[in-house]
Amino acid sequence: MSNVSRRSTLKLAAGLAAAATLPQSVWAQAARTRLRMTWWGGTDRAKRTQAALDAYQKLNAATQIDVETIGWSDYWTRLATQVAGGNAPDVIQMDYRYIYEYARRKALRPLDEFMPSLINIADFGQANIDTGKVDGQVFGVSMGVNSNGLFYDRTALERLKIAPPDHTTTWAQFAEKAVAITTAAGKRGFFGSSDAASNEPALEVWVRQRGRQLYDNDGKIAFTRDDIAEWFDYWDKLRRAGGAVAGDLQALYRNTPETDMLTTGRSAISFQHSNQLVAWQAVNQGKLAMTMFPQGGAGSKPGQYYKPSMLLSMSATTPQPQEAARIINFISTHPQAGAALGVERGVPPSKGMRDRLLGEVDELGKAQIEYISLIATRVGPLPAPPPKGAGEIQENLRRVYETISVGNAKVPQAADQFMADAKRTLERA
Amino acid sequence: MTTVALPQTRSEPAPRRRRLNAQDGAAYLFLAPWLLGFFLLTLGPTIASLYLSFTNFDLLQAPSWTGFDNYWHMFVEDKRFRNALSVTFWYVLLAVPFELLFALAVAMVLDKGLRGLTFYRALFYIPSLLGGSVAIAVLWRQIFGYDGLVNEGLSVFGVDGPSWISNPQYSLYTLVLLRVWQFGSPMVIFLAGLRQIPQELYEAASIDGAGPVAKFFRITLPLLAPVIFFNLVLQTINSFKAFTPAFIVSGGSGGPIDSTLFYTLYLYQEAFAYFRMGYASALAWVLLSIIAIFTAASFFSSKYWVYYGDEGR
Repeated sequence: MSNVSRRSTLKLAAGLAAAATLPQSVWAQAARTRLRMTWWGGTDRAKRTQAALDAYQKLNAATQIDVETIGWSDYWTRLATQVAGGNAPDVIQMDYRYIYEYARRKALRPLDEFMPSLINIADFGQANIDTGKVDGQVFGVSMGVNSNGLFYDRTALERLKIAPPDHTTTWAQFAEKAVAITTAAGKRGFFGSSDAASNEPALEVWVRQRGRQLYDNDGKIAFTRDDIAEWFDYWDKLRRAGGAVAGDLQALYRNTPETDMLTTGRSAISFQHSNQLVAWQAVNQGKLAMTMFPQGGAGSKPGQYYKPSMLLSMSATTPQPQEAARIINFISTHPQAGAALGVERGVPPSKGMRDRLLGEVDELGKAQIEYISLIATRVGPLPAPPPKGAGEIQENLRRVYETISVGNAKVPQAADQFMADAKRTLERA
Repeated sequence: MTTVALPQTRSEPAPRRRRLNAQDGAAYLFLAPWLLGFFLLTLGPTIASLYLSFTNFDLLQAPSWTGFDNYWHMFVEDKRFRNALSVTFWYVLLAVPFELLFALAVAMVLDKGLRGLTFYRALFYIPSLLGGSVAIAVLWRQIFGYDGLVNEGLSVFGVDGPSWISNPQYSLYTLVLLRVWQFGSPMVIFLAGLRQIPQELYEAASIDGAGPVAKFFRITLPLLAPVIFFNLVLQTINSFKAFTPAFIVSGGSGGPIDSTLFYTLYLYQEAFAYFRMGYASALAWVLLSIIAIFTAASFFSSKYWVYYGDEGR
């Protein structure tokens, strides 16, 4: 092994000489600008995003974009680890829940210096630009507008001859309808609605309709013990009446389309976000449709609001800020990116993109765009971003409600428990 | 943490100290890759975690010293910690004895000289290889789910079974069952141990008129004690460290109502869901201490019940 023959040495030298005469373009290829982009989501999103990035790379041959994608719950672990290790991806899909935390810890780079020269999102409208601001600076570009969406299996409801809920249905009417579906179907393990008691967005709509919020601007709980008690009581009664999925079945839901009660054939209705209709339809056999979460009735405030489904941010440590800015701009405004991404991340905030899409999208896309315009007069203002620890409070909510739904706890005690747990969680966060 | 030395059969006189010679140098050279890995990837991070356990490290910001705050919170305020401990102790307490009993029973059947012994040995060993895997945990979810195999079976008798894995009354037991099902690795060790017992002893006992029960308690069990001890220590440690089954079966939540919140799962949640690396490090050190105490207690008690053939009584 140790004696290198003269012949092989010669071969090596010849090879090097040949390499030196290679055309310039090959070297350019090797010296391409490389960036990394990361996002959470399923396979459908991965395919669409990859297609958009391919289009970018076709137009900018000198750039190579490496992608990293993973599910929601592991995404934040991974991103935090990467940021801590100093190797964060250049372009990062951000969530409204986390953008304050990351921006304030200086993990993200403000985008104002690139606007409008490289990132031109003027046609988003001020409201949609502001959703990406933290302390007056833009740290994220909205990728889509969404809101809560009540998904229902249209096929199943037609078969049962029950009119679907609509944007005027109140909580009381919703409960009656859910029970009616269960009764009409008369099938073991099948219920009218999923049990949304541990669904934080649904709780948020409920408290907002009562003129309150989940959290105030200081990050404190901004609803009362009685709000949560009545909330638990509503679902406890509905579940006992057979209108909502039994506790030990609902406990199997893992915040994924595949484990949702609608997908697993346990319920005809599920509480989700409007942009997720695409992902949910992809794994459901029945035709899905969407409407607003139930209403608070006379005298109530709007519960829902427009929210950025996701944002695009730039890592504070990227060595290629200009190129990262160009990629963000391309994804947010370029027609080719729009065609590839569709409305899978929500309705595009860019008016130009939205108008172009209306002609191109399928039935689901159209339903989503129409839904977002339908609720325009029925939404309230965007609340303050949730405080640190809000993610854990979601878990508290699930755990405490499970003590009612699969345990023997009574509603009043559970409500006390929840308030105590939430307070402690916020103190520790 | 995983490796446990087989109990020494006899204490040999300590070899006299001598100076390093060329051969030792070569040995260390060949050991270098492993030593490097041990110091950099195991010992280094372990010590770092001891330091972090006294801080509030959260991945994004530099750790700052908080003294014994983490330990104070753990032992005084943290209800989930107490719950996780109790779930884990129950798991160890139920899973280890049942697993060992089952393994021993199967080993004794196989030891009777079954035809195709190697085939069965391999067959029974397979669950041990697969048991800790994600795929099996997913399979378990299916089997013990609402529409799963178990309820299909029960429905034949007109019983409408619950969703076993998501019912706090039963969820932990499905995990215990999963553990017992992985009896293969202790079984193989028991089988090897049974083979070591001299046949003459049984023959002599037969001549003296001993029945099978007497033979088991007077011959098999005492002579197998070192192997039982070894399996006990190993399986106890493994059960304390069990993570995958609970993580997959409960979808990472430890639910419902924390009924399957294994200690390791709680540690994982604190570290990777809530980014309390400092607190998670403290939890890890407490787990290490608990396992060390249990192992030490086993070794101490072994003096009274483990008999090594060459001790001579």
